[in-house]
Amino acid sequence: METFWEVFKRHGVSRRDFLKFATTITGLMGLAPSMVPEVVRAMETKPRVPVLWIHGLECTCCSESFIRSATPLASDVVLSMISLEYDDTLSAAAGEAVEKHRERIIKEYWGNYILAVEGNPPLGEDGMYCIIGGRPFVEILKESAEGAKAVIAWGSCASWGCVQAAKPNPTTAVPIDKVIKDKPIIKVPGCPPIAEVMTGVIMYMVLFDRIPPLDSQGRPKMFYGNRIHDTCYRRSFFNAGQFVEQFDDEGAKKGWCLYKVGCRGPTTYNSCGNMRWYNGLSYPIQSGHGCIGCAENNFWDNGPFYERIGGIPVPGIESKADKVGAIAAAAAAGGAIIHGIASKIRKSGEKEE
Amino acid sequence: MKRVVVDPVTRIEGHLRIEIMVDEETGQVKDALSAGTMWRGIELIVRNRDPRDVWAFTQRICGVCTSIHALASLRAVEDALEITIPKNANYIRNIMYGSLQVHDHVVHFYHLHALDWVSPVEALKADPVATAALANKILEKYGVLNEFMPDFLGHRAYPKKFPKATPGYFREFQKKIKKLVESGQLGIFAAHWWDHPDYQMLPPEVHLIGIAHYLNMLDVQRELFIPQVVFGGKNPHPHYIVGGVNCSISMDDMNAPVNAERLAVVEDAIYTQVESTDFFYIPDILAIADIYLNQHNWFYGGGLSKKRVIGYGDYPDEPYTGIKNGDYHKKILWHSNGVVEDFYKGVEKAKFYNLEGKDFTDPEQIQEFVTHSWYKYPDETKGLHPWDGITEPNYTGPKEGTKTHWKYLDENGKYSWIKAPRWRGKACEVGPLARYIIVYTKVKQGHIKPTWVDELIVNQIDTVSKILNLPPEKWLPTTVGRTIARALEAQMSAHTNLYWMKKLYDNIKAGDTSVANMEKWDPSTWPKEAKGVGLTEAPRGALGHWVIIKDGKVANYQCVVPTTWNGSPKDPKGQHGAFEESMIDTKVKVPEKPLEVLRGIHSFDPCLACSTHLYNEKGEEIASVRVQGVVHV
Repeated sequence: METFWEVFKRHGVSRRDFLKFATTITGLMGLAPSMVPEVVRAMETKPRVPVLWIHGLECTCCSESFIRSATPLASDVVLSMISLEYDDTLSAAAGEAVEKHRERIIKEYWGNYILAVEGNPPLGEDGMYCIIGGRPFVEILKESAEGAKAVIAWGSCASWGCVQAAKPNPTTAVPIDKVIKDKPIIKVPGCPPIAEVMTGVIMYMVLFDRIPPLDSQGRPKMFYGNRIHDTCYRRSFFNAGQFVEQFDDEGAKKGWCLYKVGCRGPTTYNSCGNMRWYNGLSYPIQSGHGCIGCAENNFWDNGPFYERIGGIPVPGIESKADKVGAIAAAAAAGGAIIHGIASKIRKSGEKEE
Repeated sequence: MKRVVVDPVTRIEGHLRIEIMVDEETGQVKDALSAGTMWRGIELIVRNRDPRDVWAFTQRICGVCTSIHALASLRAVEDALEITIPKNANYIRNIMYGSLQVHDHVVHFYHLHALDWVSPVEALKADPVATAALANKILEKYGVLNEFMPDFLGHRAYPKKFPKATPGYFREFQKKIKKLVESGQLGIFAAHWWDHPDYQMLPPEVHLIGIAHYLNMLDVQRELFIPQVVFGGKNPHPHYIVGGVNCSISMDDMNAPVNAERLAVVEDAIYTQVESTDFFYIPDILAIADIYLNQHNWFYGGGLSKKRVIGYGDYPDEPYTGIKNGDYHKKILWHSNGVVEDFYKGVEKAKFYNLEGKDFTDPEQIQEFVTHSWYKYPDETKGLHPWDGITEPNYTGPKEGTKTHWKYLDENGKYSWIKAPRWRGKACEVGPLARYIIVYTKVKQGHIKPTWVDELIVNQIDTVSKILNLPPEKWLPTTVGRTIARALEAQMSAHTNLYWMKKLYDNIKAGDTSVANMEKWDPSTWPKEAKGVGLTEAPRGALGHWVIIKDGKVANYQCVVPTTWNGSPKDPKGQHGAFEESMIDTKVKVPEKPLEVLRGIHSFDPCLACSTHLYNEKGEEIASVRVQGVVHV
């Protein structure tokens, strides 16, 4: 298999441009400039890693997001950096031919391929709410995961369950870590995840031959380390107590904080605030809509979207900003535990009503 | 007779299985089954929720044609609550919708369908110099449609996205493919039937053009959706609100979601849409079509489109007061609403039936059947209107094999997770081909006073008929015609976006910056019970959402979606859906590698996530969790 440097060379890329590229992606992956030599070394020695990309219950928004990546362009990732050997959406082959090819890759690259999973397995009706090649998807998932080096859970479906697992979850859809227990799983949540987050995760794994550092919930820290609220360009309006009270009011035209019309930025961990979408072009809050929290577990069932979330003291003047920040940091450290507390408090809040 | 199974059908959205019975002597497909092999239940999930949230849930029905289910949902809820949206919101929604049409069709042709026609293996045999010469000839011959395409803004100095039809350009792509083949790691091109004789039907130079543009458009496609990212914050799954759009306008503030700079970003993307369809998509598909139709007499796959097509209409020129009350159909620019039968006999002999407003609430017109679907009805000989729909899952397994390991589906019993929608008990095809047939018939038979969009569509069809030297009834209702109609529609939508952009500029210039009507935002202003219909033309065909709201919550919600129409199993009368009919209307050269059938199926751009949903009259009570109160840390 070719190394990246060999791939670049046959593209006629100069050594100078190659090094420039390595420097850019080092930054993209959130690594210090001192890591550039390691990135270069990795790119000079690593072959193209085979990737199997399988689809359970889903809407294909993760694949669609992935192909929108600008740095790096998805075409470069798919054609030069990885070898995408199986993908329901992009593979030329169909039927038995494509299924046999999947089996061949598993055998030939046992222990050395990456399994990417979009969507999730439904467990109801013996798995027959999602059927591939006349077999339940859950079987394909287990079979494909067995020889994988690592598993990427693309999007909120694979990571948490997402829309089909929302109440009453008619198909008993479950996140993939409920059926794959013995493999490292990198959760890349979002409905869908940001394109550059997706390619960034792949780049990291391919170049360093290891999975990126994960938080307590299995998400890459570099992309899910901050709440959207912490990096939001409207945060200063929150701190100053300047809020949109109703859609399209004067505050909405001035781009003030959307917290009061239901923004979930304060409880959502993702890179929408700092990286934004489409290579920095925009993100939901910039378009005037609150964050619906699509990267968070169970976000569909966390109450109506346009109701303001509890637990966030609303500042009226700027002096309270530091206090708000301190509370946020404490909440961030707690992760799942805090989520539990928050739900309890929400319930008690409801009783008080 | 040979029974051939293709499962999974790749290069589509979701999971689909096809089974065909082939007469090995003639290659004729004698019978065919298509089965949706997934089921998610979103309509049950939205019950008892806040109707203002439902657009976000239903949007997740599909991430490929992302946003169209959101639009249908907003229209249904607004129809129920009698909300009229502001002018700007109407124009912005139309631009977001048009961008979807362009993107979805471009990606469908290049990335999901092209490999049925062109092969990287054949592209290696091409001479790059001859390829460049041919590419220029193609632009010259098939680019004539560009000449009557309107540019309402006239702002673009020159086309920025233009095919680089030079030997160097094609040589680079050929080198890339060669290395890929030599590396042994074929990636997405692996394991396909590249040895199928049909890949010999085009000259190697056309294969190289196709593969080069496949790769080139993979990079360009992302720019086509920029309007949704600006107005809706992201893509896939941009944001909307009931009553309008969220992106407030201010020409005085850089923090405003929409200002002069943001509008310039949108305008630039629309011109990219125009150039991608004018200079890449249209010439490429017409060049391939001309060779298939005129050199190889390849007219397969029309199927149901010859018999009956249905559409709902779209592009409200100005805000309307409702859909049920008939105002929507008075305001639309694109009159694809109606049913046309027997188009293959010629446009004069085709039969036309109108569909508007009240027809969508008539329990006799649109109904769904489950005789061959894995659901239970009290009486399965009868269909149900969406407002009365029942879904009770009833998985019965295959004909041969076990419950979880199939050999063959049961053609006499139930065999799909898709229901069978019918119009007055009859099967219909939906999609760009259906819409183009309907508009063409309505205008030519004089049923309507055509709008500029209707006239543009007629002009496109007449021009293509002249280029191909074939009458519309011959080339349109075929696999090739379905693929051409999609390209024409993408081109129409791109140019129509320039029209909406002009209207948006003019309206803001006139001093109107309103984007949302919030009068009925508060549920206390709603009636105790309300019913609504939301219609649109999704990339894959006519889409309808039906909602019943009671006490501020969704009491029942149902979607009849394009792939349910096209991918439906048989109904009680044994009538096939459009996928199945198209296969039966096809001959295959190599039965165990039915490329021709796959090509026909792909020409519908199947979306299985869209078609496999659930409605239920007996849904469990869903407790809504209110998030209130304050956390004391």
